[in-house]
Amino acid sequence: MSKRILLGTVAVLLVIASAYANFYIAPLERTMGALQKIFYFHAASAWAGMDAFFVCFICNLLYVWKRKPSYDWVAVSAAEVGLAFTTVVLITGPIWAKPAWGIYWTWDARLTSTFVLWLLYVSYLLLRSLIEEPDRRALLSSIFGIFAYLDVPLVYGSIRWWRTQHPQPVIMGGPGSGLEPTMAKVFFFSVLAMHVLMIFLIRERYLLEQTSSEVELLQREAEAT
Amino acid sequence: MKNFDSIFAAYLIGWGVFFVFYLTIAKRSSDLRAEVERLKTALGQKK
Amino acid sequence: MSRLSNTTVLLGKELRTEFRSRELLTTSAVFILVVLIMFSFAINPTAEESRAFGPGLLWLAILFAASLMLQPCFLREQTNDTLSSLRLAVSDPFAIFLAKLIANTCFLLLTELLMLPLFAVFYNIPVLPQFPLLLLILFLGSLGVSTAGTALSAISAQARMRELLLPLLLLPILTPILVVSAIVTVKLLDRDPVVEWKGIGFLAVFDVVFLTALWLFGEYLLEE
Repeated sequence: MSKRILLGTVAVLLVIASAYANFYIAPLERTMGALQKIFYFHAASAWAGMDAFFVCFICNLLYVWKRKPSYDWVAVSAAEVGLAFTTVVLITGPIWAKPAWGIYWTWDARLTSTFVLWLLYVSYLLLRSLIEEPDRRALLSSIFGIFAYLDVPLVYGSIRWWRTQHPQPVIMGGPGSGLEPTMAKVFFFSVLAMHVLMIFLIRERYLLEQTSSEVELLQREAEAT
Repeated sequence: MKNFDSIFAAYLIGWGVFFVFYLTIAKRSSDLRAEVERLKTALGQKK
Repeated sequence: MSRLSNTTVLLGKELRTEFRSRELLTTSAVFILVVLIMFSFAINPTAEESRAFGPGLLWLAILFAASLMLQPCFLREQTNDTLSSLRLAVSDPFAIFLAKLIANTCFLLLTELLMLPLFAVFYNIPVLPQFPLLLLILFLGSLGVSTAGTALSAISAQARMRELLLPLLLLPILTPILVVSAIVTVKLLDRDPVVEWKGIGFLAVFDVVFLTALWLFGEYLLEE
């Protein structure tokens, strides 16, 4: 119990600290002013989300190979957490874009891929909810998860090479693109905070899944006696 | 501060999503743990 | 028996089953037609717009038709529990998938070719001059749709709400095919045709990726 509280407290403190750093340590950006501060939160969430989905992918592969239920528990936890982070990305993006560029949305490579990624993992969770038997659910959703993750670079490539033709505003410049040193440090601190939050949330969700499995076991035992 | 509404909205909604997510996990967790206790005592009585 | 002979036998079975009744082909063809017509009602395109949007709408119609046409693929096996007999008779699960996906590609391609003249007429786009390359694009795109679709059909057949689930799983996965096929077809059927070989290569890459994935993981989809 105390390890959980420790991790949770550290996560929350880091998030608050990174917010402080975003506003008071990072210098004001020239063109967009304070609005640019959203970038730290937004881009750091994006990275954490992508890493959560990567964890899900690895666990999908491990489950198909080893068939240990705990791999499936981590997979679904990572998928839900990844979806939470990606939802934040898709919400904060347009909030930033409207004042900065006058439009909420554009179909460029990064935005579209993020949206399709979000859709794919929503489908992953929906698929899981429609299969009753735990082993079957784990196996089938793992294979769909693998297909979905393999699809993502293809989605990104297809849009980048064939749809990003007309001039588009660069909604979010990459973190490396001309970031001043202080900004870069603050950004990487935000990335760290988001990743610790991600690990904490995955762990909490995993413990929930573990308890759920325990309940099912006990219920079957109760029905048997 | 220019665009204060946007910044405020972004951070509020962002943290809100994580907070709500954690709360749903915590609630389901405590419900399930109560269920585990209930089942354990029920099984204990039967034996 | 070797994989090739297994596949050939199973493929024969799939094709014979369909050509006996031809219900999949006819319903899919009519469905594509209906969708194409409804697009015209919804958008009311000018001649220029028809040329610019037509191929994209054709591919969209193909995807919708495919997500319906692929439903019976594994559901048919479930009703009479023929899947377990298939697996006993054929030791190689990938042969089962290979047969089904080749059959589905053929059905899809046939449906598209049936609809092509009507598409050319309604959208005022001549298709004959570039027919060989158009056929190649239709083939590569349909192969990708069938590969992913056959795999996902095996998955959704084992879940509830399968009629709604298959399109939901399939359409996001097929985004790359839709994007690239549409653009390559538009450029090919333009007044000054351009052959986008990079796009054709991309479609081939998609097909290879998903064929490989199906080869690696397909057997687990058919587990009891």
